[in-house]
Amino acid sequence: MSSEPRPLLIGPISPAADGALYQQIVDRLKREISEGRLKPGAPLPSFRQLAEDVLVSVITVKRAYEELEREGIIYRRQGLGTFVSEHGHNRSCEAKLKAAEDLLRAGFREAAEAGLKPQEILDLAREIAKGRK
Amino acid sequence: MKANAIEIRGLTKHFPTFTLGPLDLTVPRGAIYGFIGPNGAGKTTTIDLIFGMGRNDSGEIRVLGYDHRASEVDLKRRAAYVGPDLNFQVWGTVVRTVRFVRGFYPDWDNDYCVRLMKAFRLSSADKIATLSFGARTKLSLLLALARRPQVLILDEPTTGLDAVTKQEVFSELLKAVEDGERTVLISSHGLSDIERFADHVGMIKDGKLLLEGRMDEVVDRFRMAEFFTDNGVELPHHEGLIIVRREQNRWHALLDQKLGVHDWLREHGGKQISLTRVTLEDMFVALVKEEEAV
Repeated sequence: MSSEPRPLLIGPISPAADGALYQQIVDRLKREISEGRLKPGAPLPSFRQLAEDVLVSVITVKRAYEELEREGIIYRRQGLGTFVSEHGHNRSCEAKLKAAEDLLRAGFREAAEAGLKPQEILDLAREIAKGRK
Repeated sequence: MKANAIEIRGLTKHFPTFTLGPLDLTVPRGAIYGFIGPNGAGKTTTIDLIFGMGRNDSGEIRVLGYDHRASEVDLKRRAAYVGPDLNFQVWGTVVRTVRFVRGFYPDWDNDYCVRLMKAFRLSSADKIATLSFGARTKLSLLLALARRPQVLILDEPTTGLDAVTKQEVFSELLKAVEDGERTVLISSHGLSDIERFADHVGMIKDGKLLLEGRMDEVVDRFRMAEFFTDNGVELPHHEGLIIVRREQNRWHALLDQKLGVHDWLREHGGKQISLTRVTLEDMFVALVKEEEAV
């Protein structure tokens, strides 16, 4: 058992934030990887260590790692640990793009339900992109 | 396959007004196990029986493979218990308490003890009489942890602790199970903490196990459903559907997804069914109330 503080790897996990706790860990790690703070080949802490760091159960971190492994963003080497995979960066960008698409779709649906016509929604999107809204 | 840390099979104990069991519990090694249930469900009785306080009428308790009666000494050497009794007054100070207790345990880890003192913001010279309730709780946890037990059993350790103290406690419990070998069983009413920190959960009510399993799987199994029916529709009792509230044709119910209740509900006149994720606490309240209604 070490009492050495480890560098912070991800942002805080909270039941008040969106999504299950394991999903938040998945999202935070993807963000670290897609923004390049965690590079391909970089080792990740064991799930017991990360559980200590972000104060959640071991099973929560385990589930997050399993999810990231399934998506090919990280990989596990028996006895060595868990690492960011070579394509981790691309994969997490893809995942982010997919998430952005879903959010846009939801936004368009809400706007349509509020009575905006397709052209008006596009205008609104343009305003948002320009940072005016 | 690692052996389980605690295995309870067919445990019963009869009291004049309460019967525990038959109860089966399985606590995997390396886990933090949340043992939950309403007041009077039998949590403390179960924990007491593990440590030989009272005799069970039937059934078996094994801790790390050791039978709780035939191998009592082996069990007690490896398992530690922290209960609600926090009376250390007779030793006067923290350091004298620690000195007294550590003499009983050959595996006492002094470096760990020193580190825990710091983490728990306790100091050797502190007088027991002036320690706050939270500090006394931390002291009793420290005395159990520094023995380096393979199995740590905590009965309501966080009741009445402030948020900061609670976080210090859970942080140390996570460190204690870091090697994947040590196990913590914790009984608590702090359901949001249990949901966040426990890997496994077992819920009992009226002396019987209602559900047990991996925390994420148990919680994800249930959904809170809102649905509508035509006026005057009555739903027969159905396993896995617990009506929480009803106002005319608008219903709220806890739904067990594993039992295929969703389809059943649609076939029986449920319309516009919308499902929401639940917390352990939502689940707990619905399950406890249903039992009362029966």
